[in-house]
Amino acid sequence: MVTQYGIKFAVHLITNHFGNLVAKVCEDLLRRGPLTLDQLIGFTELTKEQVKNSLLVLVQHNCVQAFILEKEDVGDDREGSKVNTQYLALLDNILHRLRFPKFLEIVSQDLDEECVELLEGLLRYGRLTLKQMVDRASQRKGNTSMMHELQNPVAIDVVRESLHKLLMVRYVERCPAPSPVVSSPVEKDTKKRGAKSKVANQVPETIEQHVLEAIVPVEGIRFSLMSNTEVIKSDDSPMTSEENFGKTTVIPIQEDSTLFHANFEEFIRRCRHKVLIENVRTRLDDEAATILGAILEATRTAEKKVKMENSVPLTLDTIFTEVVKTETGRTMTIDRVRSSLVQLGCPQRMLDDSYSIDLKKIIELARNEEVESIVLKRYGRDAYRMFRLLSKADRLLETDKIAESTFVEKRDAPKTLYKLWKDEYLHMEKLVVTAARQSKFLLWKVNKPILWDHVLDEMYHAALNLSLRLAYEQEKDAELLNVPKDKIVGQLQKRYKRLRNVWLLLESSLMKLDDALMLFHDF
Amino acid sequence: MQGSSSQKRKRLDLVPSTGSLTDPERVLYNVIRSKKDMGIWTRDMKRETNLPDNVVNKALKLLQAKKLIKEVVNIQNKGRKHYMAAEFEPSKEITGGDWYSEGNLDVDFINLVKDLCLKHIMRQKVATLDGILEWSKKSGVFAVEFTTQQIEEILRALVLDDEIVEVKSTGFGDFASVPVGRVCYRCTSKGGSKGEPKAGAMASIPCGVCPRISSCTPDGIISPRTCAYYQKWLDF
Repeated sequence: MVTQYGIKFAVHLITNHFGNLVAKVCEDLLRRGPLTLDQLIGFTELTKEQVKNSLLVLVQHNCVQAFILEKEDVGDDREGSKVNTQYLALLDNILHRLRFPKFLEIVSQDLDEECVELLEGLLRYGRLTLKQMVDRASQRKGNTSMMHELQNPVAIDVVRESLHKLLMVRYVERCPAPSPVVSSPVEKDTKKRGAKSKVANQVPETIEQHVLEAIVPVEGIRFSLMSNTEVIKSDDSPMTSEENFGKTTVIPIQEDSTLFHANFEEFIRRCRHKVLIENVRTRLDDEAATILGAILEATRTAEKKVKMENSVPLTLDTIFTEVVKTETGRTMTIDRVRSSLVQLGCPQRMLDDSYSIDLKKIIELARNEEVESIVLKRYGRDAYRMFRLLSKADRLLETDKIAESTFVEKRDAPKTLYKLWKDEYLHMEKLVVTAARQSKFLLWKVNKPILWDHVLDEMYHAALNLSLRLAYEQEKDAELLNVPKDKIVGQLQKRYKRLRNVWLLLESSLMKLDDALMLFHDF
Repeated sequence: MQGSSSQKRKRLDLVPSTGSLTDPERVLYNVIRSKKDMGIWTRDMKRETNLPDNVVNKALKLLQAKKLIKEVVNIQNKGRKHYMAAEFEPSKEITGGDWYSEGNLDVDFINLVKDLCLKHIMRQKVATLDGILEWSKKSGVFAVEFTTQQIEEILRALVLDDEIVEVKSTGFGDFASVPVGRVCYRCTSKGGSKGEPKAGAMASIPCGVCPRISSCTPDGIISPRTCAYYQKWLDF
């Protein structure tokens, strides 16, 4: 579900990066769903040129995807002959812009400096062809040593190799076709999505999900370095990527127009894995974390989507082999591994002795922890205990029962519960019993999916606030930033120091809050 | 109908003294005594005895003076006057249970017990319910003796406080002395300072704890630019 403040925050990011016009176009797409160029011009009241340019910027930066919805055969519609390209804003990709430093950090841990440079370029320019990447690398080299001309022969091989490395680990992928034809979604009731359809998390596929699924290039091509012409040539002779790589080096690359961009999905997967492992480490121990890490690493490419509910099943032998490969797992015995797997909530399987870990549960516990810490800070320890009781019980409980189980005075309990309910942290039901005497009971419950959406919206709001406050602080001390460094003394130095501290605190808080945003939205 | 033997004996002892009661006093006393350890509310007495208000009030005073009845606090409804025959001790429904004293939750006592149990678990690294119960009886730390249920309630509250966690023994490491699969308790490993759970991302910034977040807008009266909480937070 797209939250109100999610959109506001996304628009704020686009305004910061690309200015008001682009943001206006983006906002209309986010609020109204996919639109054609004409519709966009109508809604935004901008000129055709302005809208077009804004769309180009957004498409270049992977924030908007164009597509053509395949017309159903409804007679001989004359309008059907006119191709109607629609534009869809990709909210997730816009929010990922906040995470670019994190993605670069991941690559700098996993790969070398050249790969970081290459990804940096892709993130900065949105999408690039191999030739553009080579040019960029050559230019940078040219800048540092003016002796060499733009054509730096070393750069081509280096760039090609870096790109190959990034493709291999799936941090980079081919861009989808510019405006692919997408068949209509099977469920035609996407428009009918009302309050009722939200029941039991089974939200019907949105147009966004449908388009996104339809445009992903086929697995074989998605992470391949081959040029478009080669893909057609080698269609009937399957080769390993190693062979492909070997072959492509021979072919001149200059004419190739294949565009590459960062594969956010893989980065989010890496972030999710990290969160899963660290949560297990604090909740259980280092051994369990090592085992989970080994399992996730081994099955990374087998994961079909980011939000995997359970880890890909592996046999105990395979898990053990993977564990002893790691530095921290080298000394573990198979018994220790088995016992940790049980700790991780894996029932022993009799049939094929394979284990699969409930990842959704770990994410749920991490979300609970985040929400509980808000409850503790905002409403106090009694509220915290009551909230945790309800959260663990996962069913309706009566006021007095809650008070008894949490050691809270019976007369105080309703007040606290009411406060939590008013702020949408609890769900409440009234129960009237008409026996000898009529009595009214209040029943309370934590409704997690609804609460999580609510908390996520508050988090987007908070992220927007942090970002706005940062802009305000910078604006307030704008002239300070223009003073040459050696002139900053005395009173000025004090102000400068303060600004730096404020900056650091706001930036680091935003990055930390962004981890929580990912926890509730992407994981 | 299952009063303990001591209560029965007491009641017998008391019977002669009721001989000196007036009729209304006796009627009232019998009604009160029939409610045993539950006691009775003055309004209900009046309804059951059909006596006029002034007669009931006078009889109550006299019965109290003769130490045949006593006034008790009912946790369910502290405003209502409740009376009980002198020989009974108020039931749990009236007092609120073991953790109540004089109609109030004995928070200080509960916290003391929680704290001592927590320290014991911390020392032991891993402890079972039975182990803690045994320790509470033998160590001499507590003046009163706890029931299994009471210790269970304390442990449950500590779990809700996120001070301890309920885990199943793996038989390895700290669990070595506990049979595999047995439910036991151990202290929560926390990143933050003692007693405080690790503050989440949201809880560490002003907006996370702001009671006015729903009225906060970028250009409103309450906004991140004018926010007093931010002012305080960023005051280096």
